[in-house]
Order: sequence, then C-alpha cells, then structure tokens
Amino acid sequence: MTVRSFLLRRLVLVVPILLGITFLTFMLVRIGEQDPVAMLGGPMADEASLASIKAELGLDRPFFVQFGIYLGNLVQGDLGDSWQSSERVADEIRNRLPASLELLIFSVLLGSLVGVPVGLRSAQRPNGLFDQVSRFVSLLGFSVPTYWIALMAIFVFFFLLQWAPAPLGRLDIAAFPPPDVTGSYLIDSLISGNWSTAYSAASQLALPVILFSIIVAAPIIKHTRAISLEVLASDYVRYAKAQGLRPRTVRRIALRNSITPILTFIGTELTGLLAAVSLIELIFAWGGMGQWGLNAILLGDFAAVQGYVLVLAVFSVAVFIVIDLLVLLLEPRASLRA
Amino acid sequence: MTDVAVDKSAAPAFTGIGRVLGVARRSPTFAIGFAIVLVFALMAIFADVIAPYGPIETFARQVLTPPGAEFWFGADGNGMDVFSRVMYGARYAFGIAVPAAIIMLVIGVPLGLVAGYKGGMLDEIVLRLMDVLRSFPSIVLALAVVAATGQSLVNVVLVIGFLDAPIFARLVRSEVLGLRSSGFVESAVAAGNPTWRILFVHLLPNSIKGATAMIAVRMAWAVRISATLAFIGVGIQAPTPEWGAMIRQGSEFIISGEWWVALFPGVALVGVVLGFNLLGDGMQDLLDPRRKATGK
Repeated sequence: MTVRSFLLRRLVLVVPILLGITFLTFMLVRIGEQDPVAMLGGPMADEASLASIKAELGLDRPFFVQFGIYLGNLVQGDLGDSWQSSERVADEIRNRLPASLELLIFSVLLGSLVGVPVGLRSAQRPNGLFDQVSRFVSLLGFSVPTYWIALMAIFVFFFLLQWAPAPLGRLDIAAFPPPDVTGSYLIDSLISGNWSTAYSAASQLALPVILFSIIVAAPIIKHTRAISLEVLASDYVRYAKAQGLRPRTVRRIALRNSITPILTFIGTELTGLLAAVSLIELIFAWGGMGQWGLNAILLGDFAAVQGYVLVLAVFSVAVFIVIDLLVLLLEPRASLRA
Repeated sequence: MTDVAVDKSAAPAFTGIGRVLGVARRSPTFAIGFAIVLVFALMAIFADVIAPYGPIETFARQVLTPPGAEFWFGADGNGMDVFSRVMYGARYAFGIAVPAAIIMLVIGVPLGLVAGYKGGMLDEIVLRLMDVLRSFPSIVLALAVVAATGQSLVNVVLVIGFLDAPIFARLVRSEVLGLRSSGFVESAVAAGNPTWRILFVHLLPNSIKGATAMIAVRMAWAVRISATLAFIGVGIQAPTPEWGAMIRQGSEFIISGEWWVALFPGVALVGVVLGFNLLGDGMQDLLDPRRKATGK
C-alpha cells in the first residue's frame, strides 16, 4: 500500500465519524431547553413575530429536513450563520482559530519540552526522590483548575509585580497586528521584522503559555514515565544490557523505542487541549475560537455550536492522520497495513 | 518501600490499626490521599458547626473586607464570609462527586458485565458509545449537555454520572472477557446457576478491581468538572457556596487586587481534587503492586 492510498482510506473512514458527530451535535442543541427564537424575539415579542423569526431561522421545518439542509450547505463549506452576530460561522472560526492555535501550539511545545525529559528521568529510577517529586507535581497539575491558577498568576504577575501586561488579548492596544502569514502574531511580526510588535505579542503570550503548559505537562510526565518504564523492562533492553553495552547506549536504544508511543500520546491529548484552552482564552480575553465556542454554547447559538464541535472533530481526525504518518517515518517496523 | 513483596504476603495477617499502618507503609500516596479526603469529608459534615456565619449571610458594611480576625478568609463582594462559604462548599463537592460516582457504577458496571459476558449487539453498542464519547472533549460535552438540559444541581450530577459510566463499562467488560471461559464460570454454568447469579455473584467480585481503583480518580474529575461548569456560569449559580461559582465571583476582583475572594475556594478545590487523585493513584499501587515496581 502506498502512502497515498493509505491516506485515501483514512479519509474515507473519517466520513462516518464526522457525520455521526455532526448529527449528535445537531440533535443535542435542538432537544435542549435553549430557545433561540425567544432569545432573539425578546420578552416583548408577540406570537406573529416569534413565528416569523422561527421561519427565518428554518426552525419550523421537520428535524430531518433541517439536518438535510445543514448537510447540503456543509458540503459547500457553508456552516450557517451565527444568530448572535449574524456573521457567517465559517468566517468567525477562520478569524479566531489562529489565536487559539497559537496559544495551543506554543503551550504544547513548552509542555512537551519539559514533560518528556522529566518523565524519562523519572523512569530511570522509579520511586527515587526525583520520581516521587515529579509524580506529585504531575498529580498537582492534574488537580489544579486552569482558570484558577490563571487568575492567581494574573494577581501575582500583573497586579503585584507588574511583570506581565494587562490580560486583555493578544497585543498591546498601541501595537498593530502584523501582516497575516502563519496566523501567529509572534511569528508573523518576527518574519516582517516588526520588533516592537513581536515584543508585545511575546509578552502577551508568555503568561498564558506558561500556565497552560503546566496543564499540558502533567499527563505527559505521567505517560512518558509509564511508557519508558515499559520499554526499560522489555526483552530487547535487557538483551542490550546483557550484551554489556554502555548505559548511555542502552538509554539511547530505550529512548528510540519510547519516542513513537510518546508522540502518539501527545497527539491523542491535543483535541482535549484545544477545548481546554478556551478557559485560558476566557481569562486572558484572548479572542480565540474556544472563548467564542463557550459563549455560543451558553447562548444556545446553534450554528456556532455545531461549527465549533465540528472543527474540534476535524482537528482531532487530522491530528491522528498526521501522527500516523509521523510514526511511519520514525518507526521502520510500522507498516501501512497496521 | 523496598520490601513490597514481603508486605504483600503479610497483608492478610494485618488487623485493625496494624492493617491501617501496613497500607500506609505500602502506599504513602494512598494514605496521604485518604487523609486529605477525610479532612474534607469532615468539613462537609460539620460545615454548620465550623463555619462562624451562614453561607449566604450578608454583612453589607463589610463588603470586600480583607482577611482578618473577624473574617478569616475575608469577605466577598456581597459581604459574605469567604471562610464559611468555603466550608459549606465541601458539601457541594461531595454532594456532586458521591452521587455521580454511584450513577457511574450503577450504570457502567452491569453494562460492562453483560456486554463482556454476552458479547454480540450490546457489546458492539457499548464499544461504539465509548468511541463517540471519547471523540468529544469532555468539557465541551458536559457543558453542552448541561446547557441544553437545564441548569440545576441535579442535572450536573446526572450528566457527570452518565458521561463517565462507559469508562466503568469498558473496564469491567475487558475483565469479564478474560474470565468468561475460566473454570469457575464454566462450573457455575454447569451447576445450573441463572445468568444473573453468574454475572453478579461470580463475575462481579472478580472483575471489579480495576473499577474500584478508578472511582477515586473519576470522583476527582467530577469535582473538577462541576466546578469548571459553575465557573463558566453553567449549572450552579452564585450565591450558592460552590467553589467554582465562588471563583467566578472572585475573578472580577483579581485585577483590582482583592485576591482572597478567588484564592480560598480554589485552594479548597485543589485540595480535595488532589486528595481524590492521590487516593486513586495509591489504590492502583495497592491493587497492582507490579505497577509500582516495574523497572526495578
């Protein structure tokens, strides 16, 4: 099987999953108690105007007709309109997704750079002092609510020490957004050589990224440790030791065999993190997709909720395919058939 | 901790206090977690005794008083005593986690037993359900379901319980799959036991181990996610003395420097969640001594 046919097969398998998720979300928002018609109409609306709002939104039609229309539009890349802002949902997401991804990607990079080495080191001497401490820190990371630690950090670093800028978005008010290349203000401003904007973007990013990377690192430490312990207890590592190879060489062999499962684990975490980043966005007024999605759920903005969940699902599917391809590259044993 | 094997063989001989100490020695993690959870449980039970004021008693002149002799944890924006509210908040943490855990078990365990033992359609359905639930990030799913089904404490408990039930179903199912064709089950069938007896008398005690270790971890999750929902403003609303809702109230005072409104409920929240997590982690060590010793 070639890489191309592998990709094609994966893409075909993806369709029923996405369809299922779309249908479930569609049903979930509609069976609920939230009534956008009453919300849009306001308390003073009479029967006739409520009925006309309902017809305008297409909510007077039978459920499956509504779903059919939604799917038909979806195929053409139309995610419907948001009822709060009357903007197109696809545009809203396109404008906000880069902000969320910027936060997510920097945090995952930082969290992995810290978490993976700590987990590996922990596994070297299980139940040693380093291991005990790192296991406790990891459990603490599991237990600390993102939003609370963010509030505390804002108090310390913005209010008390005044090291961090006001938690009010991605750039200082005085700075202009750089020309759009990657969607990350920091990278784009560096590319265009706009140093003051880059500085502003970096200082706005620092605190949320550091905080979120704590949340990211906790499960990575735990699983890297478990994966590494398993590899170290394997027959081939024992064989390598029995051969009298130097500890450094043995560690290298173990590391090479740990990388792919660790990478796969980080991949499985990403979708959940893209959802979880919304809490950080909320507190730092980041203006990303997560913050917008949370708001849509609260307000019962059906099309926006559907779009948000669909993007999360597509993201998770895309991440899995990328991870599979990476594993293929890194792991000579893996075959396309598996 | 080097004599894990010795402890294991000696464990059944422990009784009373000796047994407690034995457990504590074999897994300090478990002991610390248990102690923390116990403290918070006592706090929940005796909240009305410990708290100097009522949870929603207001002192209009004392709005945003910093922590001091009169209000140990300060007063919040409504002039309510933060210390008293944190104490009462423990009742919400346990009031959500305990019934949610019961729902998870009552739905998940029988489902896993039957799915694993009978296989076929039901098994297929449980597995697919698990796949779908896993593909949704839990926070988005919980938020959407609570927002859609109506915002009340009961709904929060139900949603958390239902969302986690498949985890227990899957755990029990995989155990049952391995036991299905073992000697004791086959002789039970041969002796003419009805299916329900095989499931609940013979298979249940042998397949519940993994699930018991998981309970504490999922209770930690239940406390966390319910507080997160309340923080976002879904489910439990202020002025209910629930920790997440209290942090939400405190969030507006952070930039102006009134830190105590958000700090103390958060500390309590971290404490109880950490307690449950330590308890769960320690329980897994105790039930599976190999897990801890791997790599030695």
